[in-house]
Amino acid sequence: MSTVSTRATRKGVVRTRPLVAAAFLLPALALLGALVVYPIGYSVHRSFFDASGNGFVGFDNYHEVFSDERIRTALKNNVVWVVVAPGLATALGLVFAVLTERVRWGTAFKLVVFMPMAISMLAAGIIFRLVYEQDPDRGVANAVWVGVHDTFAASAPYPGAHPRPDGGLAADPDGAFTTTSALRAGSPAPVPLVAVKPRYAKGERDAQPPRAEPGKVTGTVWLDFTRGGGGTPGRVDPGEKALSGVKVEAVRDGRTVASATTGADGTFTLPAAADGARLRLPAANFAERYRGAEWLGPTLVTPSIIGAYIWMWAGFAMVLIAAGLAGVPRELLEAARVDGANEWQVFRRVTVPLLAPVLGVVVITLVINVLKIFDLVYIIAPGSSLPDANVLALQLYQSSFGTAVNQGLGSAIAVLLLVLVLPVVIVNIRRIRKEGRR
Amino acid sequence: MTALDATPRVTAVRGRRPWPARLAARLGGGAVRLVLVAVGLFWLMPTVGLLLSSLRDRSDIASSGWWQVFAHPGQLTGASYDTLFHNDKVMHSLLTTTLITVPATVLVILVGAFAGYAFAWLEFPGRDWWFMGVVGLLVVPVQVALIPVAKLFNALGIFESTPGVVLFHTAFGLPFAIFLLRNFFAEIPRELLEAARLDGAGELRMFLRVVLPLGGPAIASLGIFQFLWVWNDMLVGLIFADSGNPPITVALQQQVRQFGDNVDILASGAFLSMVVPLAVFFAFQRQFVSGVMAGAVK
Amino acid sequence: MGATRRGTPRNRAARSALAHLAAGALALTAAACGSDDAKKEAPSPDLIRHTVRLPRLNGQKIKVTAVWTGTEQKNFTEVLDEFSKRTGAEVAFVPSGDDMSSFVGSKITGGDPPDVAMLPQPGVLREFAGKGWLKPLNAEAAAELRKNFGKGWQDLGSHKGTPYGVYFKVTNKSLVWYNTKIFDAAGVKEPRTWAELLNAAQVVADYGVPAVSVGGADGWTLTDWFENVYLSQAGPEKYDQLTTHKIKWTDPSVTDALTALGRLFGRKELLAGGNKGALQTAFPAAVGQTFAKGEDSKAAMVYAPDIAAAAIDGTNARIGTDAKVFPFPAVGGEPPVVTGGDVGVALKDNAAAQALLTFLASPDAARIWAARGGFLSANKNLDAAAYPDDTRRRIAKALVAAGDGFRFDMSDQAPAAFGGKPGQGEWKDLQDFLRNPGDVAGIQQRLEADAAKAFKN
Repeated sequence: MSTVSTRATRKGVVRTRPLVAAAFLLPALALLGALVVYPIGYSVHRSFFDASGNGFVGFDNYHEVFSDERIRTALKNNVVWVVVAPGLATALGLVFAVLTERVRWGTAFKLVVFMPMAISMLAAGIIFRLVYEQDPDRGVANAVWVGVHDTFAASAPYPGAHPRPDGGLAADPDGAFTTTSALRAGSPAPVPLVAVKPRYAKGERDAQPPRAEPGKVTGTVWLDFTRGGGGTPGRVDPGEKALSGVKVEAVRDGRTVASATTGADGTFTLPAAADGARLRLPAANFAERYRGAEWLGPTLVTPSIIGAYIWMWAGFAMVLIAAGLAGVPRELLEAARVDGANEWQVFRRVTVPLLAPVLGVVVITLVINVLKIFDLVYIIAPGSSLPDANVLALQLYQSSFGTAVNQGLGSAIAVLLLVLVLPVVIVNIRRIRKEGRR
Repeated sequence: MTALDATPRVTAVRGRRPWPARLAARLGGGAVRLVLVAVGLFWLMPTVGLLLSSLRDRSDIASSGWWQVFAHPGQLTGASYDTLFHNDKVMHSLLTTTLITVPATVLVILVGAFAGYAFAWLEFPGRDWWFMGVVGLLVVPVQVALIPVAKLFNALGIFESTPGVVLFHTAFGLPFAIFLLRNFFAEIPRELLEAARLDGAGELRMFLRVVLPLGGPAIASLGIFQFLWVWNDMLVGLIFADSGNPPITVALQQQVRQFGDNVDILASGAFLSMVVPLAVFFAFQRQFVSGVMAGAVK
Repeated sequence: MGATRRGTPRNRAARSALAHLAAGALALTAAACGSDDAKKEAPSPDLIRHTVRLPRLNGQKIKVTAVWTGTEQKNFTEVLDEFSKRTGAEVAFVPSGDDMSSFVGSKITGGDPPDVAMLPQPGVLREFAGKGWLKPLNAEAAAELRKNFGKGWQDLGSHKGTPYGVYFKVTNKSLVWYNTKIFDAAGVKEPRTWAELLNAAQVVADYGVPAVSVGGADGWTLTDWFENVYLSQAGPEKYDQLTTHKIKWTDPSVTDALTALGRLFGRKELLAGGNKGALQTAFPAAVGQTFAKGEDSKAAMVYAPDIAAAAIDGTNARIGTDAKVFPFPAVGGEPPVVTGGDVGVALKDNAAAQALLTFLASPDAARIWAARGGFLSANKNLDAAAYPDDTRRRIAKALVAAGDGFRFDMSDQAPAAFGGKPGQGEWKDLQDFLRNPGDVAGIQQRLEADAAKAFKN
């Protein structure tokens, strides 16, 4: 109360008739009344009526808001948004603000990070549709992710290759294949595989049928595919390609007793010790090329869109916090440093507490902003994961218009949104009054 | 003040390891720079990706990522922009956006300044309560107003029209405008107004001759802020604007489709739509920042 | 619509013949549509006798909305320009974006919808009509419609006996496009039956390329897959019953169709990117990845309506040599022919809107777009000469001749909440099926629950 009242006691300089004051206020109050206040009343009223607008349904629409599965997903996602996005954006903003403070080109950095705030959510949505494109050849997020992944995983000679279902080899849970029958020295083992990507089979020589060698276990690994699906499965037909460089292991009771790598003609030779063991083709031969994360799939879609949001709004937090930082008395920080506090301690014990009010403003602003999030979700989420990315403002739009329209339900969601921002209004008014008091 | 709370804790760490901390700071400086450069590049990447995509051919976009232009600079082409500039609809939508944004910005400044002046300097009953009411409206989501305002505009005959969109943006810009300007006007030294009063100036004259000119910086901040907000809006335009003649955001949204792959138009169009706000942003960053800091709780 | 659209044996034979003919021809149709030749061959509209009388509407302004963008938008705008020239009315084209119902709904709330909308689904027509949002065709428009269209098309554009809509543009939804280089390298031929398709898919997969690209991120591609399988396997009678929800989705015929489809969807090595990857692939990308890299493309074939030509044009592949098309294979006795179409309706009661619908029902309007390719018309009085080549002429003739033997896209006829909205109803349920093709019974129950809710029975 007191802020405003201190101002109130400050006499208006212009002693006016109330009519003049009204004239100054009229345009604003008329617009606010008709386009902001009236709609609130309308929505509250409308939310108690059914889709047609004629039948009074009491709280049924509100009941549906909390029982309808789609709207509940929206509610749940809004909670995730509110919990994650403002906090993360503020934390990043704080870190950036503190780090840039003593770097000479800090302003340039700030400009870069702040810039996305100037563009529309639609443009940002289109930008991040490109970023999150699934195909690692086209989407930069997956290109980077796959690149990192592949640095730590050796590339397989024949990704995706596998035996035919009835080819005498069984798939292990880890992606390896093991023969169903035991190896016998002197009796060669055919190892037919299919689905080798043409690109990988291109330079291979023709496969040689396995030759028996007394006292040794031999066999051939080859691409058991003849154009048009001809040839006899399980037999090396003329023209079928050898698969060189495939690692094979003889395994007995879970222990590898011998191993070899296939030659240019696809054949391999194992010592007699392999007799009676089973032949295993380790998974490393066939590991599929990593396709990257499904950024816009059902599980990751909301975090991904939150990522786009943080890209847009971390700059906002940074700039506000940097301004707050500029107001922090240098002497306090210096004093702490002279006293031997290291940078982390200065940050943790001096800077952050001093900035607390600014951080509060930033978080509150972002919370309000996040509750109303619409465009970004509408543009980025693909149809298949739109329900998983649903948020209240989007659901409101779809319930208000569209075919299965129910404007009663839409109004109920509008009222719910309003109720959710209400605490912020109160905090806000308090804050303004408190600031005025100083 | 919170500063006071912090001081005693600082004294607690007094006198500990002065020089290792210094060394760490020195070493840390290089790392900090490195991190900042990396983060800066990371932040630029999405925008650069859009720009480079907009400079590539449709079939190139379909088969490989934008970073391929670094290996094949020959892929760069202005074809998408050529198509775009010859697309009357898109070019016209830029005009529509301007015709919405400029009046909505001017109006919000005018109407907001009138009200801000009244709240700051005029006397009338319940002034503070009215002001708090207006501040309370700062956070009302536009979505609340979609259905009722659509019906209202229908009755007034301004649904599907530029004036309707302008009024909507003005109304939803007002709480912030009034809040910002009232606080700024309240800081104007009383003596200036009293002097004008003694010269026999009326309310309107004082407002126009004294308050408005002094309010320049706040008005600039507000103007930039509102300009960007309106320029970038999609939802309001989608519902209230003339659909035959929509603002650029809506025109682009209409091109986002599942059936046809419009990525070339979308990329170049999105970039085109960003040019004006980015120019405004770079030209007036100071005003923009002070607008943001004035408590931009929209 | 049941009675008029029941498939007679004659119709069925015609359909089957047509399916093959249409598919072969469409490759050529599409090939020509990108080039300028079509335009040169087409007679200029000025030289054509006007077959329909339109009122003078000087100074009137109307808005027309459709989902069309790109080339389709350009071609349709030419149709509208001709209308303007003849009547003096000003017509603005407004693309609606994909979510047309929300777009039109918001404009109706404000009391100022576009004058005419080209609805992509007849289900939406029925829903809008039920809400009283549509204005019935006036006498002239209705007469023009009766004069030029078979009863099946008239019925599809009606609600409770009142005619509202004109089917201006028709699509063939029973086509599979394939990458000729990969088919050739793997040594497989165009399959004619479901078994042959599965076999070909297996051979291609063994060869080393995922056989089928599925644009599962867009639910409608999956409903189209299902409808083709169901129509061919269960037959037209059942198809009509399921369309109107006279039989339940838990019906054994649905079980059979989903099981058949599961033989393809259930083998992840046959799908590009596996089931998960397919769910992440939007339709244009599904088409693109099948042709973008020649023989190194990520899939060998893709189910897609004739409109896929646009997406293929976006790659380096040439339609007719690199990309070809075969009719959806027969799962039961006959290969299916599922069609879709865009229906023009009036949302406002004014002379210009009715005049435009009259014009769209006339051969004069169809002729303009037909000459430019990427367009099929069910207008029986459209002179086949309007199409730029013989192949297309034959498809058009066959389309008109087979008349009521076609089946219209099932999901398009359902209420939008079930058959036409991203992320809900049939679209969502079939995406769940693609995610987990083993759970046929579970999916059927969900489909039935959603259908019951949407049909309100």
